[in-house]
Amino acid sequence: MSDFSIPRSQSTPAIQGNWSEGVLSMQGDSYPENSYELFHQVFEWVERFLQDAGRPLTLELHLLYLNTSSIKAMMDIFDLLEAAHHAGQPVAVNWHYDKRNERVADLAEEFKEDCTFPFAIVGF
Amino acid sequence: MEPFDLFSMREAYNRQQIMLCFNGPISRSLIEEIGNALRNYLEADHAHPSAAMDVFAVYIEMTQNIRHYAAQKGWQEQEAAATVVIARDEAGRYVVSAGNMVDAADGAGLLAKVESLAGLDKTQLKAIYKEQLRKPRDGSAATGAGLGLIDIARKASEPLLASMRSLNEDRAFISLRAVI
Repeated sequence: MSDFSIPRSQSTPAIQGNWSEGVLSMQGDSYPENSYELFHQVFEWVERFLQDAGRPLTLELHLLYLNTSSIKAMMDIFDLLEAAHHAGQPVAVNWHYDKRNERVADLAEEFKEDCTFPFAIVGF
Repeated sequence: MEPFDLFSMREAYNRQQIMLCFNGPISRSLIEEIGNALRNYLEADHAHPSAAMDVFAVYIEMTQNIRHYAAQKGWQEQEAAATVVIARDEAGRYVVSAGNMVDAADGAGLLAKVESLAGLDKTQLKAIYKEQLRKPRDGSAATGAGLGLIDIARKASEPLLASMRSLNEDRAFISLRAVI
């Protein structure tokens, strides 16, 4: 299947989907007015990967600030991972954050509370 | 037209420690540009990264709420006007305020919601935040689905303050203030 890449803008993160390696990465802030526009394509890629790839999927997140509509969109993606995990598929999230800003860790921690798959919050 | 007394405006802004203010139609790109300026000011002000992120987050949620509201009402871009003030109080805390014109009935609803949030502690706010997050989206709604106001309340260090002024029979001006 296909790789995809969305460049970073002022209010949206850079996003890359690597099909052969099974890695989805995001870097930056996310506060678009319409988060659905941005995230539905990411959601669809993850959904297709989980259905078709037959390989583990890892999310490498370097996300900073998310507005509430982006948080809702991210939760939808984590719900997909959760369902895959329950179906026995290996999935994992690594959320990297700068230790000087604990708000990012707080945000990641609140997502982690609702997930039972491997979810690492990694300070640097 | 009488000339603007810029000096006394400046004195008032300085006295009230206003870092940034805006009044007028607010576009998507204007929200981003003012947000950028706000981040730079906060950095120059040596705000802690966590505090700076909270101030920025509250500013974004308030202004995007105003735009979503106007869009939902089918109002023109020119009618999506906002009055935004970001200042510091006597204790040095950041205060984010935003106001906009609303249908009077909606204004009353917002006041009631702010009042109901004011009685909740951080744990209760987190619980209703998570509950709201789990609610299914209504149709094509692209917004945070009512999360914004709860998120602002969670980031505030004291209960949110809302007030309303009637403009005419149908419309009112609503102001919301959050102390970070």
